[in-house]
Amino acid sequence: MTNTETALKDAMSSIEGALGAALVDYGSGMALGTLGGSQSLDLNVAAAGNTDVVRAKLRTMEMLNIQDSIEDILITLSGQYHLIRLLTGRGGSGLFLYLVLDARRANLAMARHQLKRIEAELEV
Amino acid sequence: MTAAPEVLTELQGLRARVPHLTGAMVASTDGLVIAHLVTGMEPDGVAALTAAALGVGARLTDAVGHGGFRELLVSGERGYVATYAAGSSCVLTLLASADANVGRLNLEARRAGARIAPLIDGALERPRQAPVPPPPRTSPPRIPPSRTPRPDNQSGVTS
Repeated sequence: MTNTETALKDAMSSIEGALGAALVDYGSGMALGTLGGSQSLDLNVAAAGNTDVVRAKLRTMEMLNIQDSIEDILITLSGQYHLIRLLTGRGGSGLFLYLVLDARRANLAMARHQLKRIEAELEV
Repeated sequence: MTAAPEVLTELQGLRARVPHLTGAMVASTDGLVIAHLVTGMEPDGVAALTAAALGVGARLTDAVGHGGFRELLVSGERGYVATYAAGSSCVLTLLASADANVGRLNLEARRAGARIAPLIDGALERPRQAPVPPPPRTSPPRIPPSRTPRPDNQSGVTS
């Protein structure tokens, strides 16, 4: 079991090509923790914006009458991958992990696998 | 105050950008409405309550040694009331429903507050720097702001 800081550090150091990571509460749109980022990548802005992405998808599923849950969301930019992974169980519901990857350096399959492991170990 | 139409434009922009925003208002720190987009309630009352909460908030941050006032967020069962400093003499108060994205609300409100601050401070500075020429006879005389409640202004701008 790891805490927020350790999980974010783990994501930034063990996932190749990681540019930034955040744990976000999509009830409020605020980040519980952020690591990495830069002048051009404000993770608090990303947290608020991606909250809208997650909420829109959940609403769409509700409208389509799909009784299922989101495991992760992948957004592919020309130079980056953005991974959103929703937390499950242990009081983690209502939260998601957000990971920004450099598309040239990252291995998407490996990154997704690692993020799944980090999410499973994370206890908020 | 000559800045009111520009401030109102800023509030309209906020309402367009932030989902679940139910009301927005710019008021002076002593509780006078400068511009508002509030329906279904008395803006003067909200501004006066904001000023009272602001006083407590400012004293609280001061008492614990955390410097000047910046933001105040009150979360109710059915929504949020958030107040942000906009310059030295004014605050931006936003009302949002419980579904609101608070992270987004904070980001947009901080930016709007920073844009509103020079508008208001500029409007307050101007008369001091250069005396205003006597108004033409057709315009009504300028009345200094007072704490007495005024009749509700349909245009949403109080001056």
